[in-house]
Amino acid sequence: MLVTPFIATAFVRSISTARHSSSKASTFARHLPSLSPSPSLPAPASRKFHHCAFTQRADMYWNRETSMPSASYEGEIIREARIIALSDPNDAYNLPLYNGPLPEGSKLLAVGSSVEDFDKDEIIDQKPNVMFVSHPNSRGPLVELLQKFPSLEWVHTRSAGIDFIASEGLAKSNVALTNAKGMFSSTLAEYCMMACSYFAKDLPRLMKQKNNLEWEQYPVLELRGSTLGVVGYGDIGRASAKLAKAYGMRVVGLKRNAASFSDPYCDHLYGIDGLNSLMAESDYILISTPLTEQTRGMISADVLSHCKQSAVIINVGRGPIIDENALIEALKERRIKGAGLDVMTIEPLPKTSPLWTLDNVLLSPHNMDMTLTFMRESTEFFINENLPRYLRGKQLLNPVDKAAGY
Amino acid sequence: MTISMSVFISISRTGRSITKAASPCVMLPSMSLLSRRDGDLHRFSLNTVLREYTTSPLLHKKAWDPSLDQYKYWNREESKKGEASYVLDMSPESIQKEARILCLAAEDDHANNPLTKGVLPFGAKLLKSGLAPDDFDHDSIKEQMPNVLFVSPSCPHAHRQLPKMLNLFPTIDWIHVRSAGIDFLESDELPTVLNTRPNLVMTNAKGQFSSSLAEYVMMACAYFAKDIPRLLRQKGAKVWHDFDITELRGKTMGIVGYGDIGRAAAKLASVYGMRIVALRRNPAKSEFDPICDEVYGTGRDALQKLMSVSDYVVCSAPSTVETRGMVNADAFKASKKGQVFINLGRGPVVDENALLESLKNNTLRGAALDVFATEPLPPDHEFWDMENVLISPHNMDKTATFMHEATEFFVNENLPRFVLGDALLNPVDPSIGY
Repeated sequence: MLVTPFIATAFVRSISTARHSSSKASTFARHLPSLSPSPSLPAPASRKFHHCAFTQRADMYWNRETSMPSASYEGEIIREARIIALSDPNDAYNLPLYNGPLPEGSKLLAVGSSVEDFDKDEIIDQKPNVMFVSHPNSRGPLVELLQKFPSLEWVHTRSAGIDFIASEGLAKSNVALTNAKGMFSSTLAEYCMMACSYFAKDLPRLMKQKNNLEWEQYPVLELRGSTLGVVGYGDIGRASAKLAKAYGMRVVGLKRNAASFSDPYCDHLYGIDGLNSLMAESDYILISTPLTEQTRGMISADVLSHCKQSAVIINVGRGPIIDENALIEALKERRIKGAGLDVMTIEPLPKTSPLWTLDNVLLSPHNMDMTLTFMRESTEFFINENLPRYLRGKQLLNPVDKAAGY
Repeated sequence: MTISMSVFISISRTGRSITKAASPCVMLPSMSLLSRRDGDLHRFSLNTVLREYTTSPLLHKKAWDPSLDQYKYWNREESKKGEASYVLDMSPESIQKEARILCLAAEDDHANNPLTKGVLPFGAKLLKSGLAPDDFDHDSIKEQMPNVLFVSPSCPHAHRQLPKMLNLFPTIDWIHVRSAGIDFLESDELPTVLNTRPNLVMTNAKGQFSSSLAEYVMMACAYFAKDIPRLLRQKGAKVWHDFDITELRGKTMGIVGYGDIGRAAAKLASVYGMRIVALRRNPAKSEFDPICDEVYGTGRDALQKLMSVSDYVVCSAPSTVETRGMVNADAFKASKKGQVFINLGRGPVVDENALLESLKNNTLRGAALDVFATEPLPPDHEFWDMENVLISPHNMDKTATFMHEATEFFVNENLPRFVLGDALLNPVDPSIGY
C-alpha cells in the first residue's frame, strides 16, 4: 500500500521521458537543458522553462524569445549567397543588411524597389540567388524579378504576413519562401492581454468617469476563469495563450491542421468547422490568422451572431478577415461587448469609418508590434540565422507554404 | 524521498481513538491503515486527497512563525479548498470547541449572507449581527459567551467599536476581519486592550484579491507601455499615426511590499519576461523565491535602489506605522527616468505631493492609482486633470462576488479550523499592522 505511490510516480516519469526522446530530432532538441519538462506537461511558472514544446513542424519556426541559439553556424559553407534586396534604400531598419557585416560567403548586390533598379550588367552577371523583401509595394516587382533572375532560389520577407506579396506568379515559382514568424509574437500577446483587461476592468467607463470627475465604484471582471478563443493558433496565438494561461484563463484554439496538434497552453483545439462553437464559448476572441483566400471574410455576420453578448473581439491578423461592416453593426447594437482592433480593412482607417466614434472599440494604428527594434531584429534574424543556414545548405527556418499563403 | 503530508492519523490497536496525543489530531476511526511504531505517528499520503494540513497548537499563540509560513496563508487560486470542512464533515465528533459568533457589520451588507443567511459548519452558531456594541448589550448574549468576532469594513467607525466589543465580551478569542487591510481598525485603545488578551488571534482575507489586483497591475503597465492615452487621444481626433510602442518583456518591475498581492503580480510579470525586484520587511523569507530576481529589506537606501532600477513600480504595501509616507520625495528623486508608478496598497504609503511633483516634472512617465490618501478623491484634486494618471475608484479588486467570497472563506475555511482546534489561516499581527 505504501509502495503504490512510488510505483505510480516512477511509471509516469518513464512515460514522459520516452515521449520526449521519440520526438523528431530537431536542432532545438540538442540544445534543450537537461531538466526540460516533457511536452505533455504544462510548463511550470518558473521563467526558465518558457521554451516551446511544439510537435514536428514547429521546430522549423524561430521564436525570438524562446528559441535556443540555433545551430545555424555549424557545418561547412557549401555555397555563396548573392543577395538582392527589394527594399527602400532609406529604410533604417535594414541597416544591418545594407552596412553589414554579412556572414562569410554572402554579399549584397543591390537594393531597389523595381526591376529597373536591378537591370545592370554587374548584377545580372553575378546571378543573384537570394532575395530579401521588405518594400511595401513588392507584389508586382517580385514576380518580375523572379522571371528576370532564374538563379534565385530563396526569397525571405522581413514581415510575418505575406499577403502583401502573395500572387500567382509567386505561388507557381520554385523558390523557397521564408518569413518573420515568431518575431512579433510576444509583443502582440502583450497587446492581446491588454485588450482583454481593457474591457474586463471597463476602461471606457473609467475614462468617462475621469472626464466627469466622478468617483463611482463599479464591479470589475476578472480574466481568471474566463475563456480566450484563439482563431489561428500559430506562434502569435500560442504566445497569447501562454500569457492567458498564466492569468488562469481557459484557452480554446482553432487551427487548419488541428488533427495531430497538441499544446500545453491550449485546452481544446478545433478544426475549421469548429469556428461557431469557439465563438459561442469564448469571452475574449483573438483573431491571429494570416490573410488567405480561406480566411478572408471568415468572421462574417453569421459567425458573429454566435458570440456571447459579453464577447470581446481582438484582431491582430489582418483587417479583411473580419467583415468590418458586420462587426460595426454588432458593436453599435451591443450584440458584442467590444473590440480591440490593431488591423483594419483599409489602413489608414478612413475618417468616415464609424469605428473612430464607437466607445466600445480600442483602436490602434497597426502598431502593436512596432517596437523600436522589431524590424531591425527581423533583419538581423535573416542575417544571423537564415543566411548562415543557406550558406551551409541547411534547412531554412520559418518556411512559408506558398500555396496555403502562410 | 519525503512524502508531502496530508493528514495526521492516530489509531490505537483496539480501534478506539487515542485521547492523548502530541498535538491535536484529526481522528478518522474508520481508516485502520496505519500502525504505530516506536511511539511515533506514522505519516503517509492518501491516494485521493493530498493535503498540506498543519495542526500545531503553537500557531494559536504566535502569528509569526517563518518556518511554517507557507501553510498559514490562503491564496484563492492556489490553496486547496475545503480541507477542513471535509474533515469536519467526515468526523463531526472531532470538534474541539464550539464557535459562537458575533458579526459587526452594516445591516444591508449582502456580502455577509454566507454567514448571516448561510449554512454554518457543525459546531458554529451566529449569535447576533449588529452595528455597534449597544446592539449586543444583552445579558442573554453575554451568557452564551461568544468567542468569535467577525468584523466587516461596512461597519461604521469600526475602530471605535472594536475595543468596546472586546471589553464587553472577554470571552472572544478570535477576530476575523473580512477585508485584507486592517488599518481601518487602528485606534489608540486597541493596543491596550490587546495587551490584556495575549491569547487573542486576528485573521484577515489575505490572498482573496491577489489575482484581480495582479491583473490590474499588468494592465496598468501595458496602459503606459502601449501608450493607451495616446491611442485614445488619436482616436478622439481621428488621427492615424503609427508610433513606436514599448514591450514589457525585458523590463524591470519593482514591488514595494512583497506580500501575496505583490507575489501574484510578480508571477504574471515573470511570464511576460519581466525582471522582478522585491522589497519586504523580511527579505530572508523570499530568498528561494524563484519568481523574484532580487529581494531587498526595508530602509531608505533599499527603497531608493529599487526605484533606481525599476521601469514599473508596484506599491502593494499595507498602511502601517512603518510604511506611512514611505514613498516620499527622496524615493522619487531616485526614480529611473520614464518610470511608471502603480499604487494599489494604501494611499497614505505614498507622499501624494511628492508623487504629483514627479509627474509634473516628467521624472515619472505616468501613474496608475487605485488608492488615495483621501477617498473618494476630491474633485478639485490635480490628479483628475493629468492625462498620464490612470484613476480608478479603489475598485480594481471589486469583482461582483469578491466580498461574498471573503465571507465564504471565513465560513468554509477558518471556521471549521477553529472548531477542530486547528491553526487558523491568514493570521495578522495588529501591532505591526498587517
